[in-house]
Amino acid sequence: MSAVVHAHPQSGPVLGVADTGKPNRSLSDAGLRGRWWRFALILAITAVVLVPIMVTVVLAFTPGPTSTATGFTLENFGSVFSETLASTWLQNSLITTLSTVVVAVAVAAPAGYVLSRGRSKAVSGYSLLLFVMQSLPIITSVVPLFILFAGMGLVDNLMGLTIIYVGSTMTVATWMMAAYFDSIPISLEEASWIDGCSVFGSFTKVVLRNSLPGVLSTAIFAFLLAWNDYLVAIVFLRSTEIFTLPMGVQSFFQQNQTDWTSVMALAVIMMLPPIIVFAALNKYFSVGGIGGSLAGR
Amino acid sequence: MALTTAQTGLSRARRGVAPGGPGKPANRKSKLSSQTRKTFFWLLLPSVILLVLIHGYPLVYAGVQATHDGSLIETGEFVGLENFANVLASDAFWKAARFTLLFTIVGVFGSWLLGLGLALLLRTKIPAGGLFKVLLLLPWVVPIVVSSTAWNWLVGTPDSLVPGMFRNLGLGTPLFLADPTLAAITVMVFKVWISFPFMMMMTSAALASVDTTVYEAASMDGASRWQQFSQITLPLIARSTYISWILMTIFCVNDFPTIYLLTGGGPVDATTSLVVLAYRTVFQDFQTGPGVAIAFLMTITLVVVSVILYRQIRKSSVE
Repeated sequence: MSAVVHAHPQSGPVLGVADTGKPNRSLSDAGLRGRWWRFALILAITAVVLVPIMVTVVLAFTPGPTSTATGFTLENFGSVFSETLASTWLQNSLITTLSTVVVAVAVAAPAGYVLSRGRSKAVSGYSLLLFVMQSLPIITSVVPLFILFAGMGLVDNLMGLTIIYVGSTMTVATWMMAAYFDSIPISLEEASWIDGCSVFGSFTKVVLRNSLPGVLSTAIFAFLLAWNDYLVAIVFLRSTEIFTLPMGVQSFFQQNQTDWTSVMALAVIMMLPPIIVFAALNKYFSVGGIGGSLAGR
Repeated sequence: MALTTAQTGLSRARRGVAPGGPGKPANRKSKLSSQTRKTFFWLLLPSVILLVLIHGYPLVYAGVQATHDGSLIETGEFVGLENFANVLASDAFWKAARFTLLFTIVGVFGSWLLGLGLALLLRTKIPAGGLFKVLLLLPWVVPIVVSSTAWNWLVGTPDSLVPGMFRNLGLGTPLFLADPTLAAITVMVFKVWISFPFMMMMTSAALASVDTTVYEAASMDGASRWQQFSQITLPLIARSTYISWILMTIFCVNDFPTIYLLTGGGPVDATTSLVVLAYRTVFQDFQTGPGVAIAFLMTITLVVVSVILYRQIRKSSVE
């Protein structure tokens, strides 16, 4: 952290450090006080907002009612894995989510390319269709799909679940990819066509290769949708060994006495992947991506 | 037709994205377009198949189910619009519709106001501003199953933490999930808690694109803080605000887990939204026809609304 000598001596060292970006901007006393008010306000709001999440973490590391341990303990995590099917649920969630991400991107990227480059009556009609479909309640399609999938043996089946996740992700995912491709200049493709590249070749070799941020934000969107889903899971999953994590966490509430410390341990495991994805890929994590893709078309 | 499609499409993109690029010889262009047409077809095909399978077919079949007296196993007899008539005549439907409307209004504007306020606060330089920005997104990142579990622990029973705090302060013991009115309020607060980070991100992104020199000019002209906000900031972020309202409306109307995981639609149906009602009618009362009819009525409303909104967005993005 670089030391910056602030123009006003009364601003103090803390401010000097925080203000490194603009050392030459002078602050009046009132502005300074306003700044600390804002800081205190944000701090208070953040503290209140985070209570449910802090409670989850604290309880997960607190000894359960039957435990002899005191203070901080990891035994809830041990017991949740040894006494429930938590490891199966985690595995099911990972398989379903990762397959959804891969297939959704594989379907949405080419379709998004067509939406971006081939704008015409037919293509913009398809774009409208995608917009309408993404705004419809999943509950409408869930009942007919349940009957269709029952006939195909896809109820209580992870592949059935994945197919629905891919289907419900692809509408927004296609728009997001299209919005990203819009930002790639077509001159890059033109150059490759002159070199004898086909349209498909230029799509995979030129466009996709330059689209990592777009692919990542689409992948994050698909990841969150599949990882967090509850509605499709509660309709389509029946047996405990096929449960995904949301169903696993909920299964703790079927019993009369909820084992809070165990359920919180599982809850912590469930919220870690989204938080890790978010922390690692923060800059691609654009809700703006969704909004922007709607705005751009 | 499809050939001109590809041609106009590509030339539009060339005009729009790379102005002034060298034109192509005519023969090269037409050859490319015919290839392009085929390639576009294959690139779009998987997406179309999925759309038909996961969205198109179910929508048509839902129409069949809604007009039949069937179950999850058989289609049953054709009953015309009887299911719709029954649903529209039932109190449960209108009660759920009213709750959905209120839930959506509170969800959209509650989360927008909180998100806007925080985005404005975080816009100015404050110590650890970046950290706050990340921490405040957590309610949106954490799975709803997890946060509903935490909320249940906090307010679920009279012995939970928050009712206990009220009791210690001598304010009685509020039954957050057992009293119909309080349960409705709790569910809406929960929805706002989940959704405000989304609004904060949308607003922050819009605010970042506002040129700050306009404020200097305005304050030189003697504009007050409020005038600057209402007459400069709000109009400049209006389009993004509009889009975020639309998205949040769709999120709220279609919401299932927020409500179902916290209250299950109770107590006494006080928090039953249309989606929860449709779910229970089909999967708990096993009345497929009426349940699908409810979902279908929502669908029709949303199709009409979203086509109108889509037109609006397109129009405003042309401007």
